[in-house]
Amino acid sequence: MTEKKEGYILTSSPHLFSSSTTPKIMYTVLATLLPVAIVSILLFGMKVLLLYAVSIATAVATEAAVKAARRQSIHSIYDGSAVITGLLLVMVVPPDLSPVFVALGAFVAIFIGKEVFGGLGANVFNPALVGRAFLSASYPVQMTSYSQPQALFPIAGGVDAAGGATPLAAARFEGVVTPLKSLLLGQIGGSIGETCALLIIIGGLVLIALKIVDWQLVLAYLGTVFLLTGLFYLIDPGTYPSPLFHLLSGGLMLGAFYMATDMATSPYTPWGNVVFGVGAGLIVVVIRLFGGFPEGVMYSILLMNAVTPLINRYTRPKTFGSPSGKGAVS
Amino acid sequence: MVKTSFPKGVHPPEEKDRTSNIPITDLPLPEKILIPLSQHLGKPAKATKGRGDTVTVGERIGEADGFISAHVHSPVSGKIKKLVQLPLPGGRMGEYMEIEVDKEATEAFSFPEKEFDLENATQETVAQALKEAGIVGMGGATFPANVKFTPPKGKTLDSLIINGAECEPYLTCDHRMMLEHAAEIMAAIRILHKAYAFEQILVGIEENKSDAAQALKEEADKYQDLPIQVITTKVKYPQGAEKMLIQALTGRIVPMGKLPLEVGAVVSNVQTVYAMYEAFYREKPLIERVLTVTGDGIAEPKNIRAPLGTPIAKLYEFCGGMKSEPRKMIAGGPMMGIALPTIDYSVMKGSSGYLLFDRPSVPEEGPCIMCGRCVQACPMNLVPLRIAALAKAEQYADAKEYDATSCVECGACAYGCPAKIRLVAWIRYAKNFINIRGL
Ligand code: SF4
Ligand code: SF4
Repeated sequence: MTEKKEGYILTSSPHLFSSSTTPKIMYTVLATLLPVAIVSILLFGMKVLLLYAVSIATAVATEAAVKAARRQSIHSIYDGSAVITGLLLVMVVPPDLSPVFVALGAFVAIFIGKEVFGGLGANVFNPALVGRAFLSASYPVQMTSYSQPQALFPIAGGVDAAGGATPLAAARFEGVVTPLKSLLLGQIGGSIGETCALLIIIGGLVLIALKIVDWQLVLAYLGTVFLLTGLFYLIDPGTYPSPLFHLLSGGLMLGAFYMATDMATSPYTPWGNVVFGVGAGLIVVVIRLFGGFPEGVMYSILLMNAVTPLINRYTRPKTFGSPSGKGAVS
Repeated sequence: MVKTSFPKGVHPPEEKDRTSNIPITDLPLPEKILIPLSQHLGKPAKATKGRGDTVTVGERIGEADGFISAHVHSPVSGKIKKLVQLPLPGGRMGEYMEIEVDKEATEAFSFPEKEFDLENATQETVAQALKEAGIVGMGGATFPANVKFTPPKGKTLDSLIINGAECEPYLTCDHRMMLEHAAEIMAAIRILHKAYAFEQILVGIEENKSDAAQALKEEADKYQDLPIQVITTKVKYPQGAEKMLIQALTGRIVPMGKLPLEVGAVVSNVQTVYAMYEAFYREKPLIERVLTVTGDGIAEPKNIRAPLGTPIAKLYEFCGGMKSEPRKMIAGGPMMGIALPTIDYSVMKGSSGYLLFDRPSVPEEGPCIMCGRCVQACPMNLVPLRIAALAKAEQYADAKEYDATSCVECGACAYGCPAKIRLVAWIRYAKNFINIRGL
């Protein structure tokens, strides 16, 4: 019998770990986003591929530079999270945006949105949305010029071209309602990755099945938008578009499945996720129906990001056997 | 049989196949044993024998020191060589007695079965018998059994819970005990019932041991007077944690910081109950136990009955030796066990197994991504990520606010954490500070 001369490894319990790791989660998210990215390239052309490349490269390079400047390991650039930010940023900007702006947005997303807070997990706001908010504020014109995609699917009527506007803008300002089929398949004007709702939903459901995305949040978010817009639709169908139109248009699907549910910036308690979803849903409806912008997904998520620490505090599960509750709330 | 469970928890791989079908075998008597006087929760026993004394099998060599303590008995006949201070698992030092084994005398000794005076079993006689036999919880907590079975004035124990969950991966000793000693376990339960007149006796066994559940059920059917139910639970970790098992089987919630008796329950592990049988029917003290030696680092994994104080090197020898050069050795299960630095340790009352790993997983810790999986895993409904972060920030009062002291250190949170944060280590760290500073 031999005794290992280097000695045995001494670590605290537990000595078993699940196979789930941070990079695995990130790359799974990326994998489900890939079809959305591919279709967006088919819809809007090769210029979009360039945008993806520029954005991801800038995001990863920014993270590496910050880590290096702080004399930390730059190993984190391999965890996939900066790539997701780069990818998502492109998905929420118009297809004709200049690569220079995209690079600027990706830099802001990672630098201000993530690293200033201390990096992955410590950030308060969704980095991609921080990048987008920066671009919207700095370049409002470029950020609202939408070109129409190519006709990819043989839908009667072809691409629904409502005068170069997004379906939400068309509905809000011109009273033109885009058919649902066009919305589902992405035959509409809009941000690069937001148009093909169907693929986003499929990818999102896969992530829910893999327990990477919290269904409570998605359901609460979409449910709130559906119920509220449904209410207005019932009251006055002439003025207000149908709830299904609201669900499928704009950035709601991408926002609900891929941005609101960002682990770092959404609550970590199940009830907290419900609160987040309902709050975000309310904000979207208020902005879309009564605000000055046609779309409110970005603000809804950023605003709820800001109150997430608070939500976490107030939805903390009741400790097992604690006198203030019967335990096992969630 | 109903399938039931506590909420939350995790599903680690079971890894029990290596040994679950291997019957318990007796370890050949070692030439010497090294038996610690602190094998239980509470104060170490006081040595009642010294260097040069001869002892016989079952003779008391250590006396319980105070209420929460337990007697220690010699598992062998032989001569005490010396008393030494050596580390206990976990690092604390403790007193050990080294006994040179007189093989012949030890083997000649036996504890014949006696008729137990069932009619006269009372709570006092039962608790006294448990104390005399030095029985402690053998599931790992090693709480003195006589204390558990002595409810304070004004409290009654109405529910006896028999813990056969064995939810720790790899371990199979309890499984084998239930299969091979169902009759004895049931006989002891009968005596406990006679003394305490329980309203319900619930045996909780995880579904992956349905053969054991069947065996106990068949035995239970022989006693029509017992209000007993054998219940199979879901396979989920930590199903066998005391509070979780009580919740799963009775729906009762043990209040924070309180013992099960607060809700009228007393929980005993199946091996503890078997030890009670031996105490009741053979007046045999707790001097040996069954444990599992397994893992990818051992040649022939086994379920072994070994005298307390057996040097663990003897166990490995009996299992055909280590395969190559294992990198990690664990006393207990992989979820709650303690990593050992050397093989210089001994079998104790709470030793449920020893694991040897050739390729232990020691993943690197990353930043918390706030995924909330630890929150969803924690059976105590804690927020492990917060407590760990507060511990890192040395904010122990806040960690207490987050009920760090309710943590049962089951490891469910750290098991599922994608960032591989050593949540339990940090929470334990915070708990220590809360204790020391009296926060
Ligand atoms: S499971 Fe790990 S990464 Fe996830 S919230 Fe808990 S500590 Fe953070
Ligand atoms: S915090 Fe404690 S009780 Fe909760 S899962 Fe982690 S180790 Fe178990």
